Amino acid sequence: MNIKSHLTQPVKIYFTALLIAGLLMLALLIGNLYYQTQAIQTSLQQKNQIQAQEEISFALEENIINLTSNLLELAEWDEIRQQIEDPSYYYYWHEDRLKGSPYFKKHYSQLEIYDANKWLLMPYITDNNSETNLPLQITSEEPTVIFSPKNEAFLHLFEPVFEPDSKTILGYIGLSVALHQNLLTEHEFSFVNPDSIRFTGTNPVPLSELESHLQFEPITNSVSNDLWQLINNFTTYVIILLIISTILIIIIFQILFSGPMETLSNYVQQLKKQPKEAAKITQERFLIREFEELKHSIHDYHRDLQTTQNALKTQYKIVWEQARRDALTNIYNRRAFDEAWNELVATFEYNPSNITFILFDCDFFKALNDTYGHEIGDDVIRITAKTIQDSLPSEFPVYRIGGDEFAIILAGVARHEAFDIAKKCLKALKSYNFSGIGIKEKLAFSVGISHLDYQSSKNLRNDLLNLPRQADIAMYKAKQAHQHKIQCYKTELEQESLSLVSNQVINTIVDAIHTGKYISMHLQGIHSVTDGTLYYESLIRVQKEGLYIYPSDIFSVVERRRLEVEMDTQIIQQMLNAFKEELIPQHTGVSINISGKTLLQPQFVDLFQPFLPYLKDYKIVIEIIENTLIDHMEYAKTVLNTLRAQGFLIALDDFGSGYSSIRYLAHMPVDIIKFDMSMTLALDADEKTKNIIIATAKMVRNSGYDLVLEGVETEAMFKKAKQAGATHVQGYLFGKPKSIPSFHETK
Amino acid sequence: MQPSISFILKCLSISLLCASIPAQAVTVAQKIPSLSLTAEANYMLGEEDKPAVLILHGFLTTNQFHTITSIANFLHSEGFSTLAPTLTLNISQRRNLLRCNSLHTHTLERDTMEIDYWIQWLQAQGHEKIVLIGHSSGSLNLLEYLATKKPENVISSTIFTSLFYLNGEELGIIPDEVESARMLLKNRINKPGSYHFLFCNDQYYATPQSFLSYLKLDRAYTTQALNTIKTPSYTIIGGADKRLHKVGREWLNELESTPTNLIIIEGANHFFSNEYEFDIQDTILHILTPPLTEP
Repeated sequence: MNIKSHLTQPVKIYFTALLIAGLLMLALLIGNLYYQTQAIQTSLQQKNQIQAQEEISFALEENIINLTSNLLELAEWDEIRQQIEDPSYYYYWHEDRLKGSPYFKKHYSQLEIYDANKWLLMPYITDNNSETNLPLQITSEEPTVIFSPKNEAFLHLFEPVFEPDSKTILGYIGLSVALHQNLLTEHEFSFVNPDSIRFTGTNPVPLSELESHLQFEPITNSVSNDLWQLINNFTTYVIILLIISTILIIIIFQILFSGPMETLSNYVQQLKKQPKEAAKITQERFLIREFEELKHSIHDYHRDLQTTQNALKTQYKIVWEQARRDALTNIYNRRAFDEAWNELVATFEYNPSNITFILFDCDFFKALNDTYGHEIGDDVIRITAKTIQDSLPSEFPVYRIGGDEFAIILAGVARHEAFDIAKKCLKALKSYNFSGIGIKEKLAFSVGISHLDYQSSKNLRNDLLNLPRQADIAMYKAKQAHQHKIQCYKTELEQESLSLVSNQVINTIVDAIHTGKYISMHLQGIHSVTDGTLYYESLIRVQKEGLYIYPSDIFSVVERRRLEVEMDTQIIQQMLNAFKEELIPQHTGVSINISGKTLLQPQFVDLFQPFLPYLKDYKIVIEIIENTLIDHMEYAKTVLNTLRAQGFLIALDDFGSGYSSIRYLAHMPVDIIKFDMSMTLALDADEKTKNIIIATAKMVRNSGYDLVLEGVETEAMFKKAKQAGATHVQGYLFGKPKSIPSFHETK
Repeated sequence: MQPSISFILKCLSISLLCASIPAQAVTVAQKIPSLSLTAEANYMLGEEDKPAVLILHGFLTTNQFHTITSIANFLHSEGFSTLAPTLTLNISQRRNLLRCNSLHTHTLERDTMEIDYWIQWLQAQGHEKIVLIGHSSGSLNLLEYLATKKPENVISSTIFTSLFYLNGEELGIIPDEVESARMLLKNRINKPGSYHFLFCNDQYYATPQSFLSYLKLDRAYTTQALNTIKTPSYTIIGGADKRLHKVGREWLNELESTPTNLIIIEGANHFFSNEYEFDIQDTILHILTPPLTEP
């Protein structure tokens, strides 16, 4: 599942979002229920209102009819006429008789008799002049509603009293009825809430306008009310429940999940920030077992990780040391030197200082080795390394960068001080008694020094990069000298070494090496003796406007100028382009010669990575010379086996021109052994030499290597080569080297 | 009690008679100037040669009381002119029973004046012979009229039915109330009050003047009046009248001792209800028939 980065949020965000979504959905449900119920409730209320309106209108109408009927009946009562005719005892009659008679209803608030002139038969005894009282004189016989200040409504009705069987009006009856009480007494309401009936008004109004002054509320449907109350209660309870649940969920979530996760997250962050510190387990205890286990797991994991890291660190230190320590001398090796040098180059611009590069070399060490054997040779190396290291200030290590070659990098040391240091080292070597290990001759050492005065340098980086080559040149000069075994580099040394080669040739070669111009790669076939397959050895040639430069001059200039790495790089690039341009015949291959210096470059393996796509169609062989391989056997094994694993083949070139130590033969990281031309020619030598060569060839073959014999120029030699066991042959018999079409000119 | 066959036959014959003789009853309203009231009476004109009969109702009732109407209708059917007035009891054109707790301001004297007015009215109508029939207190009203007005020339005879008297502790009169009413009246305080009187018990709501005026008619006064009146009189008493229980049957003896002709209809109640209605009708008719003229 592809999850976008912005979706990764703290658990609290998702929990809050889910909680809010849940609450919103519930709120929506409850709100909908509440709204629907409210709609029903409103509908019922409207219906109730209509029914109540009809009921109260009917009640009022019926009341008026009843009251009028009662009044008519009353008007015909004999005793009314009795009082009209003789009101002498009106008060007594009114109080004692009238109010006790069935004519006087309970809800009547006042009943009075008026004379024919519409005046009250007898004036009120008390000072009762309330506005709601019946008037002293009837002004209108129309039913009228009077309002009291307490919002009580009184209906005033008047009815004439006729003489029996006549239309003669004897008087009038006035009736005042408290409407509210009258309604409540006379009616049992089904739809109107009796307690809600109110009459409002100030001035007297005709009966016809009564309803506009009437207020009431319907009796709400009890079922509906109960339902509504139930819904309200339900809603309230649900809301309270939701609030409580939400709080509980938040608390529970906080306690059970968020808190532990936050604690664990903080714990992990703390571990992340301070991974090297001992992880102190949090004391907080979690309720969920998985969290508790996770906490302990993280702690244990981190503890184990730390333990492992410490072990690895220790191991790394050991390995680092082992990788950078020379097994023989226990001083830093070539790898350590390369790292130190590269670091110096990388940081030099930001932290420049005087840099001195010193090279030590044991003169005639190979001869010594051949004479006294490798064990003595190794002793010499060990003693040399220790003596140099002991003579150096403690802050400066000595590196073994070759078989008998040692290097020292002095930073922040003045030229003369550096010279003194070198001198001290050389003096110590000279004074060492090598006879103790069985060496009878006096050993000589050569020292080459190059120095960079950063304050006077115009191109710091370039000058720094030139130091190793310059020290090499200086040491080359020292080797040639018999007395001045310490040589400091100066420009004149380069000119001296190249005195036999013209400046034009030198410049052309250097230019070609640096730019790739004038280089014309040539290929010389290497033929399989068994299956007729073919691959080519690539050979560098330099040509400029008719100026042909001999290969020996090329190698001489490159060697003196220490341009081996640059030349190899250029050759590799040229051959890569040839592959890209498809200039290499199909089903063949090429072999590329690599110098010892290039082999020791840290980026050596990377140089060949662009060739990987061609390995499936071509045979690509890397040729190295025997001395380089043997001098750096361990390191060479590592890088060469890496390339072999990728499909490259390794050829040991010029076997027989150097040590040709048989003891290395079984373990060399190579696939092909190329016999030097001198060994091929030796097949024509005396029988004893010939047998040795054949025996050596046989050993090579028996060790599983392919065997290439160079310098095969005649059929006889080819025949002998085959008899000697060669798998491949190379020489003028099969043609001279031919140039690859010049791609740099066609680009 | 099962009605007898003769009773049923009588009912049928009277009903047929009433149906055959068209009722000529009219309500006569007369303003009595001396009383400032208008009184009403039912008047049915009968045969000229027969006397007019004035039939007066009992206490607080009207001429619509069944005993009165039945006698009036019967006598009219027999050819008599009848006049059944309703005593106003101080209410013009009173048409309904007056309740005990109604305000009673009427007096015996004013009642007598009304009776006198109606007799004069009958005379004015050309009736030379007038017979008076009273029921219960109506009989006492007529007796008082006869005793005070002495109309011997006008009234040929009088028939008292259910004749008793009004004042007597045995009738429920409370002497203290009487004394109290008298004191009020003496002090000119004519404030109405409730008294024990006849069937009203203590609910009789009247002015002292009104109340006391009727107390004149006590047992002695009644017998005395019977003794003094010159007009021939007949007294009919229901043998089962409960009032006899109150006044005692001695009352009959006392009546016997007066000039009145006492007739007792055994079994009849105070109102001569049911089959006794015909008995009293027969008795009255028997009194009014010619032998009556030759006593």
